[in-house]
Amino acid sequence: MADDTRKPMFNRLAALVAGPFLLGREAVSLAFRPDKDGPPETPPKLTPSRITVTPPEHAIKRRG
Amino acid sequence: MKTRLPEHGPLETPRFWRTLEERIETPEAQQAAHDEFLPGAIPPSFNMGPDYNDVHGLPPQSGVSRRDFLGLVSAAAALAATVACDRKGQGTVVPYTKRPVEVIPGVANYYASAHQEGRRVYPVLVKTREGRPIHLTGNDEHPGVKGKTSPRTMADVLRLYDPDRLRAPKASGRVVSWAEAEGHLHAALTGAKAAGKPVLLISGAVASPSRKALLADLKTALPTLEHLAYEPAAGDAVEVAALASFGQAVDLQPRLAKAKVILSLGADFLNGEDPEALGAWGAKRRLKSAQESINRLWVLEGPLTLTGTNADERVPVSPSRLGAMAFALAKELAGKGVALPAGTDLSGVSTGAPAEIPQATWASLVKDLKAAGRQAVVLCGAQMPAEVHQAAHLLNAMLGSEAVAAIPAEPLATVKELETAVQGMAAGRFAAVLFWDVNPAYTFPQAAAWKDAVAKVPVRAWIGQVEDETAAQCQLLLPENHWLESWGDFSTPSAAVLQQPTIGTLYDTRQGEDVLLDVLKALGAAVPDGYHAYLQARWKKELPFGTSFEQALHDGLVKGEAKASAPSFKGASVAAAAKRAAASRAEGLELVLFPGFATHDGRHANNSWLQETPDPISKMTWDNPVAVSVQDAKALGIEEGDLVNLSLDGITLKLPAVIQPGQAQGVLALALGYGRTTGGVAKGMGVNAFPLVGLEPASTHVRSGARLAKAGGKKTLSRTQSHHRMEGRDLVRSLTMDEFAHDPQGHHHRPELVTLYEEQRFPDHKWGMVIDLAACVGCSACMVACQSENNVATVGPEQVARGREMHWIRIDRYYEGELENPKVVHQPMLCQHCDNAPCENVCPVNATNHSAEGLNQMAYNRCVGTRYCANNCPYKVRRFNFLEYTAFKTEPETLVYNPEVTVRPRGIMEKCSFCVQRINDGKIRAKGEGRAILDGEITTACMAGCPSDAIVFGDLKDPKSKVSQLVAATRAYRVLEELGVKPAITYLADLKNPALEGGHHEA
Repeated sequence: MADDTRKPMFNRLAALVAGPFLLGREAVSLAFRPDKDGPPETPPKLTPSRITVTPPEHAIKRRG
Repeated sequence: MKTRLPEHGPLETPRFWRTLEERIETPEAQQAAHDEFLPGAIPPSFNMGPDYNDVHGLPPQSGVSRRDFLGLVSAAAALAATVACDRKGQGTVVPYTKRPVEVIPGVANYYASAHQEGRRVYPVLVKTREGRPIHLTGNDEHPGVKGKTSPRTMADVLRLYDPDRLRAPKASGRVVSWAEAEGHLHAALTGAKAAGKPVLLISGAVASPSRKALLADLKTALPTLEHLAYEPAAGDAVEVAALASFGQAVDLQPRLAKAKVILSLGADFLNGEDPEALGAWGAKRRLKSAQESINRLWVLEGPLTLTGTNADERVPVSPSRLGAMAFALAKELAGKGVALPAGTDLSGVSTGAPAEIPQATWASLVKDLKAAGRQAVVLCGAQMPAEVHQAAHLLNAMLGSEAVAAIPAEPLATVKELETAVQGMAAGRFAAVLFWDVNPAYTFPQAAAWKDAVAKVPVRAWIGQVEDETAAQCQLLLPENHWLESWGDFSTPSAAVLQQPTIGTLYDTRQGEDVLLDVLKALGAAVPDGYHAYLQARWKKELPFGTSFEQALHDGLVKGEAKASAPSFKGASVAAAAKRAAASRAEGLELVLFPGFATHDGRHANNSWLQETPDPISKMTWDNPVAVSVQDAKALGIEEGDLVNLSLDGITLKLPAVIQPGQAQGVLALALGYGRTTGGVAKGMGVNAFPLVGLEPASTHVRSGARLAKAGGKKTLSRTQSHHRMEGRDLVRSLTMDEFAHDPQGHHHRPELVTLYEEQRFPDHKWGMVIDLAACVGCSACMVACQSENNVATVGPEQVARGREMHWIRIDRYYEGELENPKVVHQPMLCQHCDNAPCENVCPVNATNHSAEGLNQMAYNRCVGTRYCANNCPYKVRRFNFLEYTAFKTEPETLVYNPEVTVRPRGIMEKCSFCVQRINDGKIRAKGEGRAILDGEITTACMAGCPSDAIVFGDLKDPKSKVSQLVAATRAYRVLEELGVKPAITYLADLKNPALEGGHHEA
């Protein structure tokens, strides 16, 4: 049984071609905005991701 | 699953109740009971219609087409495959290239150290793993605290890893070296010395003899130094009354082990701050039989305190009337032959029972105190007006009380002295000001005046950990070590206590004493290099023969009674105080400002563990609503959560209100320490109540003339008391001493349990727990201990409001009786480790199952998050990670984790494990030493943290173990035993020792 809801062949072909074309145009026109303040002169000092743990000096442990 | 009610069915009006709604049975309360969970804790499609904001993000089940379903399944499969391929978060495990001598990977080290909060000192034992302090308990060698400590002290390990800590010195907002920062400070101080201009130093209380000596050295080197030791939550009235009654500052320390009758005048000595008092209280309440002696606690107070909830007899009274009542009590006792101290004049005091107390209650109180004599003690709340303290001093002197020790202390500055300093700063009197571990820009009542005055001091330096309101007003910021990175010492009545670092400094910080030593050097004094050497030199001179400094560090203390003699009471001070007390009457509403349970004076406000621990009375988290009495709320038309305007002396605060049963009519209560403007956790939580603190030292924290009016609108309260309700079943039991003596099981009958299952066998051990409700005061120390031990996540106020808090143990607070003055019972509730656990049967992936030792255990990586187990748990103790609470944390926050306990991600169910890691540690230790596990050797974190020893854990297979013997006690019962789930936790019924109804038992 024919599907009544199917669109005509021409419309479907047009969509098949136009879809990627429009998407591609959109993608090509994408521009990356520059940062508002521009890049800093010197990169900010990053917080170290790991913190050095050192044992206490002169402390006497109870047990362990 | 809806569990069947016991045979007697729900009572018409529940005997015990937890919320006002439950008490008066509003339709909302009935609906909430029917719904079992809070709306936030169940998927919306069950009862609220579609809500696509839910974390699951799935559409409701009805109306899903087969196509949508298949699409979602495909997407889910693709996503699952993608996630499974993700290699994010992988770490590298590498061995030490140079292993520190002390560290053995996988083995915990323990160090003795100490912590100070105000005048109170907490000797502690610090557990470290791979060099990181991760858990605190009390120092078991200390004769006073006996291995216990306070909830705030336990939680303070989190402050060590606070990401907001200042990591390097700053000068005028710029990160600088220590040499540069100290250079500025030294130049200012040497300049001030040369010019003879005063320098102001404001610090916290001085409880350390070496710090006191250092400050004395500084004063010698810099004669223009003016030092104020300021504790904003301590209550100036204590200082005023001590000066009047003893002529000097004293620290009153209760000795409850010696007390048969305790009268509290607004004193909250059971609030968890004083582990020594709680230990003594628990020892007097853990009765095996009704023939044992028990104490009796009388409480006269305005707001309902934790101590008030544990009272045997409690009378709600306005704080302004407490003084008159206490002096009337003294006169009554004197009339009955109790001698007055020399010079005492009570002629202006009226006789007879005050109007606020029923005649029979008054007569009984007088009789109790007189009969107990030296074994009676009167304790006064720090916030109460000075005349109430003076009356308490008089009563203790009259009774000759052995149950309180007045120990000479370093004086604290009052708000008046701070006001004088403000005037001095505003007048340009000071060349420099140095703030050390204090935050007066936040705590001084007149913040605007403070800010203007401070700005007029040329050099302003700050020593502290997290940049606070005061730091924002200073040019020089000197980052300080956490106390777990510092040296120090303290004096306590039964031992001299040492503080030692348990970790090297995490950042470029120094301890405050080292900064002052450098100042001394710059001023030309000859001092040792560093505070460690300074401390060692002082201690080596004073150590008893045969004790080395190293041994003292190992133990954390040197035992020995303090030699200071007790100051004598000055009777001549009484007449004026009694006159003031008689004239004291509150106009309008009376506001009581008390230190926040979690925040104290605001210093702990940046600690998420504490912010999320519910207030023991109001069960509020993350906020400080004003507590209103039931009568006043009715008169003013205020409902729970209503926003109100609280006005006093021209200052108005807009905040939510809660209605507090048991609070005296005409009294408002508000916690201090909230409303901070700095700190990642603290900022914006609650309102700052310090502007309402008075400038009259005799009564800074009790203010009359407050006005309250509805401001319009409501606030959703992040309150836990109505969560996990259990529909009025027989959950909590409380006995009077008469009932305990004659009918301890009362109408409760042990149900005959029939089961389809085979009796379970436990070949080696069967772990179990007993919780004595008579000893439990509800201080929440167990909650904090559990949170620290088991890496329990905090979820924030919004999630708490939705019923998604993650605590493995909670304290249920039950009221009984009248709204105006109910009796209260606290009940710790945690996984009951049922032998026939309903949660285990319904888990589709066997993630929760039973161990051969009776533990109901979780395999986290097997859990798929169906939450069937939480639905089926009759105790409502399972917690689900609705959101990702842990994965985004980085160092330093992750350094506090206990490596023995898995950190749970989103979508995982979790619950109490009976600290299985500690059980295994004990087993491995015993096996290594070739012996059996000793009774009491294995402790759960909650048991170790409980200051009143209400929790006992052990092996039920060992008939000689303490836990086995307690299970057989006459007060023993199991919660919801009729369900046949066979819980491994036994509760011992609460005990009250009333003087009147049915309480012929002598105190």
